[in-house]
Amino acid sequence: MPRRNPRHPDRRTQRRKDVTHRADQRPGGAFRCAGCRLDVPLGAPGTAHRNHCPQCLISLHVDGRVPGDRAADCGGRMEALSLFARPDGEWMLIHHCLVCGELSANRIAGDDNPLALLRMAVRPLSDSRVPVRALLAL
Amino acid sequence: MSNTNERSNPSDFGSRTETFACVWCGLTVTARAPDGGRRNHCPSCLQSRHVHDHVAGGPSECQARMSPISIAVPRNGDWKIVHRCTRCDELTAHGVHGDDNQLILMRLAVRPLAQPPFPLEVFGNL
Repeated sequence: MPRRNPRHPDRRTQRRKDVTHRADQRPGGAFRCAGCRLDVPLGAPGTAHRNHCPQCLISLHVDGRVPGDRAADCGGRMEALSLFARPDGEWMLIHHCLVCGELSANRIAGDDNPLALLRMAVRPLSDSRVPVRALLAL
Repeated sequence: MSNTNERSNPSDFGSRTETFACVWCGLTVTARAPDGGRRNHCPSCLQSRHVHDHVAGGPSECQARMSPISIAVPRNGDWKIVHRCTRCDELTAHGVHGDDNQLILMRLAVRPLAQPPFPLEVFGNL
């Protein structure tokens, strides 16, 4: 996804990915989502590593710190917990592992379902109790 | 959590008068929140401190400042603040307390909607 407001031209570029998905492990270059069973192609527009299902945003806890390193031995399902915007305007998803409770932040991909993303973004405001209390306190 | 005593169990604290100073704004706040729980972040600037190791458990040696980045909403509807350590990029989520700065909370909640990666006008036509 192109950055819409590149306010930080000197910021660190993306980490070079030396771990690639091996096509012989997954025939057809696709995997099946653990949540919605959608067949997802490995290539994702805008990212070198597809991290989550573009339909239901569910991920698997297989990577450690570096995307694609397959360093985590948990293997649990990770659900999208919240969403935040980086200072350069790019949206990031925070995934929460349902097995070990680990949190991880991941960039959204170009083909992620916009409706699912927007549902995550408005989720703090959807339940009116806390926002109304917050606005009344200002 | 910026506690003065090094106890590993966050619920195990006795003194009502225990305080800590915020690493960011310097405000001295009580360690006990008004709703009875232990305070994890400064109620004024919502900055926290990386004193608890969530992977291995027990105290962490990082001790760096953790800045609030996002609001998470679990199924029960209460807000949680997601903090990220400015030094080691560790992420934690902790519940909000009643006296937290509502302006910063709302800022965090609406921040993604202010910078959408796709035009939001399309959703009006759906």
